[in-house]
Amino acid sequence: MDNTAFILQQCINAIFLGSIYALIALGYTMVYGIIELINFAHGELFTAGAFIGVIVLTALQSAGFVESHFVLSLIITFGLAMAYVAVLGVSVEHVAYKPLRNSSRLSALLSALGMSIFLSNGMMLAQGVSDRAYPDVFGISGLEFLGARITYGQIFILLLAFALMVALQLFVQKTKLGKAMRATAQNKPMSRMLGINVDRTIRTTFIIGPGLGAAAGVMVGLQYGAVRFDMGFIFMIKAFAAAILGGIGSIPGAMLGGLIIGGVEVMWAAFLPSAWKDVTTFTILILVLYFKPSGLLGTNVSEAKV
Amino acid sequence: MLAKELKKIAVYAIFLAILLVPMLGFPTPQFQPNRPLIVLGILVGLLVLNLVVKFVRKDKEGAAAGPGLVELVSRRLGRYPKWLTLGGLVLLAALFPLAANNYMIDVGITCLIYVCLGMGLNIVVGLCGLLDLGFIAFYAVGAYTYSLLNLTFGLNFWACLPIGIALGMTVGCIIGYPTLKMRGDYLAIVTMGFGEIIRIVLNNWTELTSGPNGLFGQAPPPGINVSLGGDDGFGIALGQLTTLPSMYYLILFLAIITIVGVSRLNDSRIGRAWIAIREDETAAELSGVPTTWIKLLAYALGAAFASVAGGFFAAKLSYTNPNFFLFMESCIVLCIVVLGGVGSIPGIIVAAIVLIAVPEVFRELENYRMLAFGAIMTIMMIIKPEGLIPAARRRRELHEAELSAQEED
Amino acid sequence: MKKFGVILVCLVFALTFGGVAMAKTLKIGTLSPLTGPYAQDGTDIKQGVMTAVEVFGPVKGFDKVEVMPTDSACDGGKATMAANKMINDKVDVVVGAYCSSATEPSQIPLNKAKVVQITPASTNERLTSKGYKYFFRMPPRDDVQAWSTVEFLEKKLQAKTIALVDDKQTYTAGLTENITKFAQKNNVVKIVAHEYITPGDSDFTAVLTKLKKVNPDAIYLSVYQPEGSKMIVQAKKLGLTATLISEDAVYHPKTLEVAGDTAEGMFFTFAYTKETPERKAFVDTYKKMWKADAVGTYAYYSYDCAMTLIAAAAKAGTTDADKLAEVIRSNTWPGVTGEISFDDKGDRKIAHVIWIVKGGKYVPYWNPITGKDF
Repeated sequence: MDNTAFILQQCINAIFLGSIYALIALGYTMVYGIIELINFAHGELFTAGAFIGVIVLTALQSAGFVESHFVLSLIITFGLAMAYVAVLGVSVEHVAYKPLRNSSRLSALLSALGMSIFLSNGMMLAQGVSDRAYPDVFGISGLEFLGARITYGQIFILLLAFALMVALQLFVQKTKLGKAMRATAQNKPMSRMLGINVDRTIRTTFIIGPGLGAAAGVMVGLQYGAVRFDMGFIFMIKAFAAAILGGIGSIPGAMLGGLIIGGVEVMWAAFLPSAWKDVTTFTILILVLYFKPSGLLGTNVSEAKV
Repeated sequence: MLAKELKKIAVYAIFLAILLVPMLGFPTPQFQPNRPLIVLGILVGLLVLNLVVKFVRKDKEGAAAGPGLVELVSRRLGRYPKWLTLGGLVLLAALFPLAANNYMIDVGITCLIYVCLGMGLNIVVGLCGLLDLGFIAFYAVGAYTYSLLNLTFGLNFWACLPIGIALGMTVGCIIGYPTLKMRGDYLAIVTMGFGEIIRIVLNNWTELTSGPNGLFGQAPPPGINVSLGGDDGFGIALGQLTTLPSMYYLILFLAIITIVGVSRLNDSRIGRAWIAIREDETAAELSGVPTTWIKLLAYALGAAFASVAGGFFAAKLSYTNPNFFLFMESCIVLCIVVLGGVGSIPGIIVAAIVLIAVPEVFRELENYRMLAFGAIMTIMMIIKPEGLIPAARRRRELHEAELSAQEED
Repeated sequence: MKKFGVILVCLVFALTFGGVAMAKTLKIGTLSPLTGPYAQDGTDIKQGVMTAVEVFGPVKGFDKVEVMPTDSACDGGKATMAANKMINDKVDVVVGAYCSSATEPSQIPLNKAKVVQITPASTNERLTSKGYKYFFRMPPRDDVQAWSTVEFLEKKLQAKTIALVDDKQTYTAGLTENITKFAQKNNVVKIVAHEYITPGDSDFTAVLTKLKKVNPDAIYLSVYQPEGSKMIVQAKKLGLTATLISEDAVYHPKTLEVAGDTAEGMFFTFAYTKETPERKAFVDTYKKMWKADAVGTYAYYSYDCAMTLIAAAAKAGTTDADKLAEVIRSNTWPGVTGEISFDDKGDRKIAHVIWIVKGGKYVPYWNPITGKDF
């Protein structure tokens, strides 16, 4: 493996990991943008999506459906996982966040932390403490060019992640509901006066954010081969760093932030001592918050919000 | 009213059932209905409890907010002079090992360690209003300071204590300084990052900390060794603290000093400055509070108390390992502070006992322990955000907020 | 007639009280992480002990065998609390703990209270070098496993270069440290890279690509099962051709389930488990009791721990720690991980053998002691 191939391969690794982080970061940034709450439970919603994915895909595979209708079975898997987690996300919002909308930030944050612990332990009880293996529907075959290698599964996942992000951007920019979302994020009382149903808008956010997280969960399962009840935590930290780096509340910011965090993580491990890899994520986080709290693409955050 | 609530419970239960079946129904290729049913049962139980509490609370509000149990107790105790009640409590704590077995004493020690930690975090979160999610890092600093000084230079516990405090305060200031500009959630994330960085450094710096192997063989602190029966017999002697009761008395002593220190700080000029910063930093600065120094002081003092607790922890176990200082531990300490009632000293003591000792009682249900822990945390925040025993000042504030909210409506 | 009544009453009393005096219970405590990231191995340990009680059946000299599982959560504070609880509940023997970070603190109270403890998992050398005479260890030490690995690399695989990966935990870092030591001493295999991953991570492509560039003959994965199985899959997806070798923490049925075909042909070090009737009884009962498809790694070790303890208690006829420890030390016990005998320190006198994955199954491959194939 020569240097070109090495760098190319690491770039593929970085873009792949970065896209996953970006998808999860979108959930954080949307929720934070609209109700100013770190949704600690987001990592667990992502894991729940991965679990639904493995349940559905295993069932489809044992029924022989994957072989006969490959694309359709993937659509069913992603669709069911996203739909289920969207419902779960809305109910988490309803049970744990809605009653606290007007109380202190600390209470809301702890409620979210409680939800996270609750969901992760609920999943442990339900799905067991060990890995659940994902059916390897893509296999290890792939393309090779210039000495670097990308599997067909990775290509599929990258395309899907990209499509989801474009769709989200179109939704937020073009549709009425998307505009209502942006308005609510900017000024809640004002949008209420203008006739926007704030509760419904928040609910929509909790459908889309966790839904995207669930898609990321299925992708992680498909690519890495296994899911476990506690895998959400590390993804949560990285994705949150990505959301802050991009500018919390900004949707393109979250995508960019995800790619940068993924890139830095991979490149650090590639060229520098890998034992210190995780320090970089936190260091970036601290430096960004210190020097540019509004993030790369974020709007200026007023001091009261910081 | 009741019928409506019951209907709500039924609707919630059905909703949860639908939600949980796909998740819980297929844990393994074979369908095991008992597990999801247990989880569902617990969930519905918690929900019913939640609604019952809500119902009772609503009833109470109707009757012009009658006194709660805690208030009744504190009012009853308030009839006696303060020194008598406090002295009684200390005496009770001091007599505890006589009635307890080693296991209960060990649980008591752990509770008291968390009381110390909670007191330290109370300064940062409760008084100064800075949300810290990496507090356990200072605990680690204390544990490693004592371990390294004791193992390399043979310094004893009491000699290491001031060094540990100084180091803890320094690290507190190092972490505190860059975060001075931030507030709220951002601060929470940055402190979490610092907490993790310190743990990773401890794990990776093998030459100094021997990394994941941990450090072993720290000497127990010298002092008055108390033994209460068992193989050691009865007796009191000067020397290294080798028995659990003497460890208990040491941490009780440290906890009392911490409690007295924090309550004195609370009533002092500095304490009032912290609260002023918590309420409105800009206003505090305008009134002449040197916010930078006062905030740094909050970090440093909070870190100092945690560092003492850490040193004791390492001495008691005679072992320390970076894995003891995970993010989850910071969460637990934060929960103690918040569940007890932000800024409330008796609340933190009660919460430490509730969060550390009660799960020990339910050890057999260890798998459901954390599940209930998370659920209770959320429910507490929804129905009683001021905590178990709210600080008097805080309670007034919350009620004012309620009153003004009612006026706005 | 009256006399007969008196005799009858006396007899009844004698039988009742005699019965009470004879009603001896053997209490086995287990100490393992039942919550947290290592809960799977911890549960395997608990289940292994319970299976041993079931398989052993009635124990001579005891009326009942009770198992008392406790949770260490891999945390020192919780482990000592659990140890003190077991001491308080008059547990006779303890199987545990799993993490060295829980075993080391638990050793002190257990040794002081004179409770025989056998660890089914902790392999840190330091544990048995403290002179605790009631402490035994079932799996071979880190340096024994490292020796087997290096022997295999040099003699069987004839590798020239090797890359090491560990996740900086007590066990995994201890193994790579020992491998480095042996490899440098023998100076046959050259260590060309030493990389680290983070426990709990899912993506290891960056580190694996780095290793692909170095292109060693073999890669040693010193990690735990969740990370290990994902690394195997990703290595194959990246097109790595180096031989993969891993240790007994990854030797787990889950690895085969997750990695599937990608694990085919890779090597593991694990204690030798012959196809003996004892092993068959264990595996069958385990699968039936826990509705499992396969047996976890640490269930083998914990089963052997419990079997040794029960058999020793039956032989000694007492639970007195001094006598029990003496009986355990001076005898040889049949086990599912090979014959069990301990040296003076409490370490086991066996070495690991090399296993290979063939047809989706673990198969014994090479024995480093004899230097021969199976």
